[in-house]
Amino acid sequence: MNCVDLQASLAEIEDGTTAERSPEQVAHLKTCPECSALVAELNLIAASAIELRAADEPSPRVWNSIEIALRQEGLIRPQDTSRSLLPALSSRWVWARWMVPAAAVLLIAVGIYVRQNSLARQLARDAAPATVVSDGALAGLNDADLLQEVAQLSPAMQAQYADNLRHVNQYIQDAKGEVTADPNDEEARRSLMEAYQEKAMLFELAMDRSLP
Amino acid sequence: MTDPAQKSGNDSNEAELIERAKQGDAQAFQALYDKHRRRVYSLCLRMTANTAEAEDLTQEAFLQLYRKIGTFRGESAFSTWLHRLSVNVVLMQLRKKSLPVVSLEETTQGEEDTPKKDFGAEDLALAGSIDRLQLQKAVDDLPPGYRTIFVLHDVEGYEHNEIATIVGCSIGNSKSQLHKARMKLRDLLKMQRAEKADKS
Repeated sequence: MNCVDLQASLAEIEDGTTAERSPEQVAHLKTCPECSALVAELNLIAASAIELRAADEPSPRVWNSIEIALRQEGLIRPQDTSRSLLPALSSRWVWARWMVPAAAVLLIAVGIYVRQNSLARQLARDAAPATVVSDGALAGLNDADLLQEVAQLSPAMQAQYADNLRHVNQYIQDAKGEVTADPNDEEARRSLMEAYQEKAMLFELAMDRSLP
Repeated sequence: MTDPAQKSGNDSNEAELIERAKQGDAQAFQALYDKHRRRVYSLCLRMTANTAEAEDLTQEAFLQLYRKIGTFRGESAFSTWLHRLSVNVVLMQLRKKSLPVVSLEETTQGEEDTPKKDFGAEDLALAGSIDRLQLQKAVDDLPPGYRTIFVLHDVEGYEHNEIATIVGCSIGNSKSQLHKARMKLRDLLKMQRAEKADKS
């Protein structure tokens, strides 16, 4: 066996153990330093590869997004009674107690607004006060309060919440723009509902993390 | 090496977490994620060589897992199930991007025509050990077809017959691609060393 034959046969012994090698391969490797070095280097690469397993860490954004999706899909059940919103909370948490109902009210208001918009452009004009209502409700879900409440989390998580908040606010703005441009656009109205739902979910998630 | 008693404890702990996750327990979902996130993310990152894409695929793999967790009956190890599912998610994505998982045209094209780079100097031999970051960079630089087979075999520990089933190629093709991937990595690592030597 020469060098060309050996190198052509290497693919068949790539699982590495010397037991796999034929007597011809073994004899050639004993007498050829170049092929011997090549095989040693390929084995070293194969042996080093396992160090790449589980070598990297995903950013906190990944779990955050998974958790939001699981809640939206209803795969995570509501918190147990020990973490219920109903028991008396310290004054610090009183605002948070109303967060979920406020989010629900907000969603209902948006729903009414969207439904009104679907009737006709004239009715859409009449529905202008509803816009004010939903914006007012939105103001009730104060972004700054949310960020203050997650301030106890790690800096990476805080940054993630801020990022998610920016993202969802932009989503709401975009969706509102589309609904305003064409109140009969079913897709735009659905997007607006989803945007508000996402924001409500973000607040709920932040509150769950913050409660004692 | 893992202590058998500890492994048994980990398994029962994991089984409990799975049961709790089936009931919708948020903490159990997170605990399972924490336990396996590095392995899944690293697999996605190695196979795509793209951080943002790897994060999206990690998210997708865990979401698929959690959606199906009710059907997990424990016939196979949970980690085996998860990793296989993750591999499928990544391969699906690669196929969507029209990047052939195993493309002989792509991976062999030019090799025969291009003269081999001469890394003859003895001091560039890959003796001793290979730095993890250098290897990581070299794997990222592999053509996708080579990279997939190398990651599945040498990093994740799949056998050629399993790879053939997962990727949809022959066992011989898998072996051949792996050999070429290692040869290419050897070249890339030596190039890295040569560049480093030039700089210093």
